[in-house]
Amino acid sequence: MKNINVPASQSTPAIQGDWQAGVLKMQGDSYPENAFELFGEIIQWVEDYLAQSADPLRLELQLLYLNTSSIKAMMDIFDLLEDAHVKGRAVSVKWHYDKRNERLAELAEEFKEDCTFSFLIASHE
Amino acid sequence: MTTPPTLTHAGAAMHSPDLYALRENFNRERIMLCFNGPISRSLIEEIGNALKNYLAADQALPAAAMDVFAAYIEMTQNIRHYVARRGYAEAETAATVVISRDESGRYIVSAGNLVEAGDGRAVMSRINAIATLDKAALKAAYKEQLRKPRDPALTGGAGLGLLDIARKASEPLQAALIEHGDDRAFFSLRAVI
Repeated sequence: MKNINVPASQSTPAIQGDWQAGVLKMQGDSYPENAFELFGEIIQWVEDYLAQSADPLRLELQLLYLNTSSIKAMMDIFDLLEDAHVKGRAVSVKWHYDKRNERLAELAEEFKEDCTFSFLIASHE
Repeated sequence: MTTPPTLTHAGAAMHSPDLYALRENFNRERIMLCFNGPISRSLIEEIGNALKNYLAADQALPAAAMDVFAAYIEMTQNIRHYVARRGYAEAETAATVVISRDESGRYIVSAGNLVEAGDGRAVMSRINAIATLDKAALKAAYKEQLRKPRDPALTGGAGLGLLDIARKASEPLQAALIEHGDDRAFFSLRAVI
């Protein structure tokens, strides 16, 4: 049982993982050269949480620009959620985006296409 | 009516590079940003910041600005990944990057680097292959590439990053390969956003 608290950098998002609450949050841009250097730990956290806990897992995302390396890493996380969902686990994603940039909604929609669990995409000003 | 330029020297006589000619070239090509030399992770970020500032000053719409930034990041990071895979020395991790605008105000992102001739030819044929794909086909190719396992031995690059740039571009990607005849070549890619 552990928590994540990674501060944002110029090219990486802020990430918070609260095991007790069953919530993983991310905010900001993500364009590191090798996203797995950062996301490897996050993916492991999600795997561990899904394996060691029976509680729901909720993702709250306010991500901006994602390079393709980060997109692959996020897809790995969504795949873990999808596998868990298919096996009856409660998982959900809420993706918040700024209404002024339709590209952000498009990215979220493309991720959502491969997921059958609850995936809410909500805009704000 | 403009008077023809006159040239005055001061101090020691100036020799090439001729800054005036360079400036004229940059202005004619509407170049906003350009860089030539070894490219590090931090330099990519710093130039990226300068690019973001230029786009904001140009009042580019958020989605368009993000597309230009994305093309720049994917191109420069592709170069970094390539030189790492090929084990090139620091001095050989050089890139030439240009961001400019065309007559209609569209942004053009161009980048070039030295490659093994064989790798250059491989990526050229990949670019030819995707040039004929429409939006739906590019999306399908992208989704297929996204699902492929991460292959550290991937030669010729031209994977997800290239497809991402192609999807954001307003016309098929342009590329050129200049072969030196010594198994090395200069590969350059141009995307109109």
